[in-house]
Amino acid sequence: MPSGFQLSEVETLIAQDQKFLFTLASYVITVVIYINLNAFQYAVLGTVAFILYFLINGIFLGHAFFDKEDTFFRLMFGFLLLIMFLGFVGWLAVIIYNLDVARFTVVLLVVATICSLLNRKVKYRSAT
Amino acid sequence: MPLSEQGRRRLLRCSEILYLFLIAFSFYLLVLSRTGEARTVWEVLHPAFIPVLLVTTFLLIPILLTSEKTTYKLLFIIVHSILIHSLFSVIFPAGDLSGQQEALGKTRLIYDNAFLHGAGPLPFRTLQTEIFKRFSGDNFQAALSVIFARMLSIDVIWVHLFLVPVLWGVFVPIAAFLTTKTLSENDKVSVLSALLISAFPYATYFGAISVPNSLGYIFFFFSLYFMLRYIVSNDSKITALMLVFSFFALLSHYLTGVMAFSLLLLAVAFKAYASEKEKSSRNARLPLVIAFIFSTSILPLSLIYLRFFGAFQTSLTLDKFYELPLEEIVGLFSLGELTYAFNLKLILLVFIGSVIALIWMIYLLYCLRRNPHAKFRTLVYFLFAAFLIVLIDYRILKLFMTGLPFGEERLWVFRDFIAAPFVALAIYAVVSWLQSLLKAKSPPTITVANLKKLSKGNVLRVLSLLLALNVLIPVLLGGWITFSLSAAYPQVAPLQTTWYELEAVKYIEENTKEKYVVISDIWTIYAGEMIVGLSNPRAYYFSGSSKTGHDLFVNMTENPSTQWMLSAMNYTNTTVAYFIVTEPRLGTEFNSVVSKAKAPENKLIVFYVSDNKKLYVFGYREG
Repeated sequence: MPSGFQLSEVETLIAQDQKFLFTLASYVITVVIYINLNAFQYAVLGTVAFILYFLINGIFLGHAFFDKEDTFFRLMFGFLLLIMFLGFVGWLAVIIYNLDVARFTVVLLVVATICSLLNRKVKYRSAT
Repeated sequence: MPLSEQGRRRLLRCSEILYLFLIAFSFYLLVLSRTGEARTVWEVLHPAFIPVLLVTTFLLIPILLTSEKTTYKLLFIIVHSILIHSLFSVIFPAGDLSGQQEALGKTRLIYDNAFLHGAGPLPFRTLQTEIFKRFSGDNFQAALSVIFARMLSIDVIWVHLFLVPVLWGVFVPIAAFLTTKTLSENDKVSVLSALLISAFPYATYFGAISVPNSLGYIFFFFSLYFMLRYIVSNDSKITALMLVFSFFALLSHYLTGVMAFSLLLLAVAFKAYASEKEKSSRNARLPLVIAFIFSTSILPLSLIYLRFFGAFQTSLTLDKFYELPLEEIVGLFSLGELTYAFNLKLILLVFIGSVIALIWMIYLLYCLRRNPHAKFRTLVYFLFAAFLIVLIDYRILKLFMTGLPFGEERLWVFRDFIAAPFVALAIYAVVSWLQSLLKAKSPPTITVANLKKLSKGNVLRVLSLLLALNVLIPVLLGGWITFSLSAAYPQVAPLQTTWYELEAVKYIEENTKEKYVVISDIWTIYAGEMIVGLSNPRAYYFSGSSKTGHDLFVNMTENPSTQWMLSAMNYTNTTVAYFIVTEPRLGTEFNSVVSKAKAPENKLIVFYVSDNKKLYVFGYREG
């Protein structure tokens, strides 16, 4: 089990998102998921990509909305909000047209972008 | 010799390792119980599972009462919670035979892009039905399942089966913890509450099935937490989060959404009351009473106004009072549906938590009545009012309404969410009282030498208190949580979807290139919906409520012939038809139906036979 200190270090690193490094990582993960879905369909690769996507964007959202909570609750709220965001944007795609592989990839990209922007907004607000 | 601090830490670590081992072992026993043919989980559950779970829960309770980090305690509870909510998903090949299979049928359609603009066709289209269809929780849950399935590159059935058990297992204990923490500011009571939510059978059942309503409950619980925060704070972020979670409760299921917005209105009234009461207590109470009455009426009225969307035919009625004998009305009023299958153990397990909570709420209100400035007074009043709303609404729905789109017992989950923090508060108060009694009666450090100095009566008292604190309470709580599973998971049920039904449906799907229609009983329809989706025009299974589908199946069992197959093909504009019969569903008629269908004059071909010869698929191709 990682100690609170190690976890908060990882969290700080991701939340800082210097030069949009982790936002870009989110986009790369999305592309990997898209390729995996179309070409290999490896569950292991999918699981790794899933965990990384959730970790990055969950931390972004936790940092954006729950910066005053403890690390554990910040992470948990971040994950829950990410699930809600994914569900909501996915639901929009479903009711507007459908959720095929291409639109699913767009959903992931849109959610990653929103998470990154929300995280950035909080960063600027706390800096000023 | 009393234990040193280091010794205590070591003992705690050993207990935690043993706990994790027992949890892993329980999961292993659950996997060993997996079967392809059973009615209830109790038929096939490994005999060691319940005893191991009892010991595991017994071990967890003392860990929760130590000074261990709250994060670790919550992680232990989360693993425990996922375990007890996974029985259906792990044991049965297709989960519980309930609405969750229909939900999977709709999810499958979206996963396979069979329909545009949401899951499933509607029998008739108007603007209202279209709005209702798009906003129904099925689409939200389906979108979530499809996204996870595509991200993980696994079939949607796996994601669907474990979606709610895992989300519930993770987030409901956290919501219970946070709600109780807001109410008590005590971490130990809050973790106890996070565990105790698993002692409520209805909450456990809905946490074990993947239906939109279950997702809605999760969001509702968080909206309830943010309502409590909203009442005591002026942070706009809290208000926004309260609204967001209420909206998601509505997006998941209208029941949870309507309840969330009813309580939200009450929370606004309580906040206004808290700020107004200083000026004039009497004037401040009136809007509160009006808000209470209005919040209580929102759910029954909203169900009636669902008629506008052409979805349901719910209405108010007094029929039950004219038709039912008085004792039945009294039974329904007090016990609800449990009055029909009267079982004292079941009634006790379902009601004990809420009765303890109600008693403790009344006790707290009594204690707080002369202390208007008490910190948690408004929150206790709010939760008590919310609890009453649920109790009243349940009775209105049960006795004064007809044509409801769901069982009224679903309201008990809201009651359980509100009750869990108060049960934890009550139990913790008893534990604290026993601890203070022990401190008063015993020497500063309890050793054999110190005990010898006391009188016999005092030794007996100290030993009884030690026994109660360290053995009796953990055993009682562990037993309560474990045995509430017997009320949560049904003791009687029809045969669940079997492995050979799923195999047959997959075989048809993999070996038919044209559009096809399947005539079968309702149970095989469920299996079909899980693999190809609900009313998929390419691979059509009649819906469970379709009279045409039912009549075709009855005609085929009485007189298997191409006439009915052609009629099904014409109805669905397909060129291939299949007829499925299974021995456990058809019973004694099975052999005669199979031999009649095999007769050469009927021109049906045997398309598939299961390995155990319990299922036959007959096929017919046009032309």
